[in-house]
Amino acid sequence: MGSIANWVTERVPISGDQLRELTNEPVPNHLKRWWFCLGGTPAYLFVVQIVTGIALAFYYEPSTSKAYESVRYITEDAAFGWYLRGLHKWGATLMIAAVILHQMRVYFTAAYRKPRELNWIVGMFLLVCVLSTGFTGYSLVYEQLSYWGATVGANIADSVPVVGPLIKTMMLAGESYNEHTVPRFFVLHAAVLPALIVLLLAIHITLIRLQGVTEFKSEDEEEGKPQHFNFFPDHLYTELIVGLVLMILLSVLATCLPVHVGPKADPLVTPEVIKPEWFFYTAFRWLKLFSGTAAVLSMGFVVFLMFCWPFVDAWIERKWPRKNLYAWIGIVAVLAILGLTVWEAAVAH
Amino acid sequence: MASDSPGVSRRNAIAGLSMAGGLAASYGAFGAITARFLYPATDSPRSWLFVADVRGFDSGTSRTYRSPAGETIAIARTGETGDVSDFLALSSVCPHLGCQVHWEPQNKRFFCPCHNGAFDATGRATEGPPKDAGQSLSPYPLKIEKGLLYIEVSTTSLVQANDNPHRDRSPVGLEEIPLPDHRGPGHDPCLAPRSSQARIA
Repeated sequence: MGSIANWVTERVPISGDQLRELTNEPVPNHLKRWWFCLGGTPAYLFVVQIVTGIALAFYYEPSTSKAYESVRYITEDAAFGWYLRGLHKWGATLMIAAVILHQMRVYFTAAYRKPRELNWIVGMFLLVCVLSTGFTGYSLVYEQLSYWGATVGANIADSVPVVGPLIKTMMLAGESYNEHTVPRFFVLHAAVLPALIVLLLAIHITLIRLQGVTEFKSEDEEEGKPQHFNFFPDHLYTELIVGLVLMILLSVLATCLPVHVGPKADPLVTPEVIKPEWFFYTAFRWLKLFSGTAAVLSMGFVVFLMFCWPFVDAWIERKWPRKNLYAWIGIVAVLAILGLTVWEAAVAH
Repeated sequence: MASDSPGVSRRNAIAGLSMAGGLAASYGAFGAITARFLYPATDSPRSWLFVADVRGFDSGTSRTYRSPAGETIAIARTGETGDVSDFLALSSVCPHLGCQVHWEPQNKRFFCPCHNGAFDATGRATEGPPKDAGQSLSPYPLKIEKGLLYIEVSTTSLVQANDNPHRDRSPVGLEEIPLPDHRGPGHDPCLAPRSSQARIA
């Protein structure tokens, strides 16, 4: 055994102490509460998406003439295809929900403040990438929702002054939906965006390691008790339990609310009732309330504000200190998003 | 200057700049080539296609056609002077965000289900985001030659690509859409209750 250990140590020159130093990041006690594990939850779900996505790619054919039939084959004919597609679809839904909840947790605990402004911006890029992955994902099925979702999405981009037409053309691989559109979405969904997410996650986690996790102290915490616990194995176990619960939840959702194949895309007929996925309900309702360019520019401004929020918040704090205005702005924003989402969900048009 | 610095000689500075310039030029060229590769070739040829004999197209009637590119087009005749100003050809693509509008005979309007846009029989927006933005359904160019009505449309299509990926790109004709017996969602005949050549409501 000793000779094997020596052989490995010679080729992987890292000591036990160095390994402990790398893995035993002291984790603040507040991370024992499950809602502070929302950062690890989307990371776990991302792994689920990668694994199930690779499995689905064995059968999926990214072309306008074959995409729909291949998805139908996966869903109805391939062994456990319905289950894997269900995991992928519900995994995406939960991942986006977890990213949004994680961002809300970071916002309302003001964990984006100095010196963590850059990590908030990285998180915002991650949010945009995750939403884009969701959008390109449902565009691959080549159902009615896929086709018209992609068409509306591209025309939203087209409404942006100056660069809009270029973005639309690059998205659709032409002036309108054509035979090169689905392959382009597939490459974005299965290669470009996941690679970007991995890169951004690496930066996100590196910054967390460099700056440490934001410290919070709850009122019921006993004095004199240790303020931190070890990442390995304590926090890792917590994350493993969260992962196991998520896997059970995903399996239940995939089984009890299975995904189906909707009507095939018809470029000649927009369905009477058309809705995007739930995470775009707010934007969809907003587009109904205002004319194209005004709606797109106002949404763009809100997204820009979200990117710059740590700096805007710092300015607000200097101007009106200790009034917790950020919290009130956050509450209004959450209520507005919830209101628009419920409104869109509740009505046909 | 750099040459005065003990760490950076002029030679090193020039070498560094040359290296940076070479890297920027080579990877920049690669990036530009890749971007051009990803930018699609502009391949949407347009052609004048025959629509109908003007004498057989009664004033006050409307017909619905499908172009080779899959666009649904409503063509109506509103006058009897015999020139092209008698005719109006409207796209079924909503100018707001590109969804397909359909004719609602009971409301005498084109309706877009995506964002609740509505247009009157002449294509003018009457409700929803298109009205706020002052948008109308796009008209198609029409012309009359030797008593025959022609329309200018795109002749490449997704619909063709679906059916035949190795398609012949030569222009094909305009197809008149037969009218359905039911009034389901989608493309109801524009301005026409039951026949493919009906009176404008």
